Amino acid sequence: MEALSDEMIMQKVSDGNLDLLKVLFDRHHKHVYNFLYKMSGDRMLSEDLTQDVFYKLIKYRDSYNNGSFLSWLFTIARNSLKTYYTRNHKSHENIEVLAYKAVEEEQEVMENNAQLQHALNQLDPADRELVVLNRFKEIRYEDLAEMMGSTPGAIKTKVCRILKKLKHIYLENL
Amino acid sequence: MTMENKHVLDQIPDYLDGTLDKETMKVVEHHLANCMECQKELEEMRILFTAFNEEEITVPSDSLKAKFENALEQEKTQQGKVVHMTQDKKPSWANNMLKVAASIALLVASFQMGGVFQQKKVEKEIAQLKDETDHMKQTAMLSLMENQSASKRIQGVSYIEEFENPDEAIIQALANRLLNDDNDNVRLTAFEALSKFTSSEKVKIVLIEALEKEKNPSIQVAIIQTLVQIQEKKAAEPMKRLLEQEDTQPFIKEQIKAVLPSIT
Repeated sequence: MEALSDEMIMQKVSDGNLDLLKVLFDRHHKHVYNFLYKMSGDRMLSEDLTQDVFYKLIKYRDSYNNGSFLSWLFTIARNSLKTYYTRNHKSHENIEVLAYKAVEEEQEVMENNAQLQHALNQLDPADRELVVLNRFKEIRYEDLAEMMGSTPGAIKTKVCRILKKLKHIYLENL
Repeated sequence: MTMENKHVLDQIPDYLDGTLDKETMKVVEHHLANCMECQKELEEMRILFTAFNEEEITVPSDSLKAKFENALEQEKTQQGKVVHMTQDKKPSWANNMLKVAASIALLVASFQMGGVFQQKKVEKEIAQLKDETDHMKQTAMLSLMENQSASKRIQGVSYIEEFENPDEAIIQALANRLLNDDNDNVRLTAFEALSKFTSSEKVKIVLIEALEKEKNPSIQVAIIQTLVQIQEKKAAEPMKRLLEQEDTQPFIKEQIKAVLPSIT
């Protein structure tokens, strides 16, 4: 089972072998959680949403389209987060911008790596999302492109630009 | 040669990740050896990447996994799988337990079999009933459409909502209304009902016939629009004839002139 790719396992899940979802959960739930935590800065929320993401995996297993599993998984995660913020901020401000703003306050505890999180928080949400996905889970440019509806080349250029920006902010505050 | 002199700033993240292909790798290495600016960028980027690598991975609580597995089990029972019976560990009991288990299983199985048969019978009855109600609806619809009162006829035509796949008789009855009814509203309702089934050849023919017969401008316009929407080429001739007729309303002519090119 270890050797099977995510895609092959998910295919079997779609065919009715629900137990295999445990393998996918073990492989990925920490990454989903971490992504949500890096974006929201809220542990409880991230846990609830991670829960939600995997429930959706159970529920919508039939709609898996044989594409990249990671793209699919993180698309669900992104949407869950967006839905959460849309529901909880009824103001007319741009959701995209509002979306992941809450991070900073909870991060006040000065950990060793607070600087990195601090630098990440300076980026706008869309940039932060891209770099978090790319760096922490090492999601390939191809998969990112599939998620964002872009091309691998464009994503690579974008990630590179964001990394330069982030590096600049990070080194400035060291 | 030109490659070697170009800065490789954009390749540095991939270079650090070791994801470059061999060719590009060589070019980047070669360039780095000679370019201070890119070396500086490389070192700075390395610091950032180290920070990423050292970043603590926050771990969710154990209850997350438990909750997930719970939900999964629930889904599995809904999927209709049988839960396995756990085996008894004491050997002396095993035999008896097996017998008890077997009798329970037999009991449950026969009970469920009974249930299944019952279920099947009920389903058959329901299917029969549904057949009957469909038949009754159809009869009601057809007879309403023949009623003296225009509002009853409209009601009859509106019954079409109840049918997913109306049969020949219903389509024919609707066509009769559209082509022959004296009341404008009945014709319009019949047209609206029919326009949902434009994939049928019969309906297309009826619409073309109606186009030639219809005198009410608003129904004419509606028919023209629908025929254009489904790109019915055969409608072109009748439209041209309408253009030539004197009693055709000027704005209908305008409408036809506007759409005619798109179907011829």
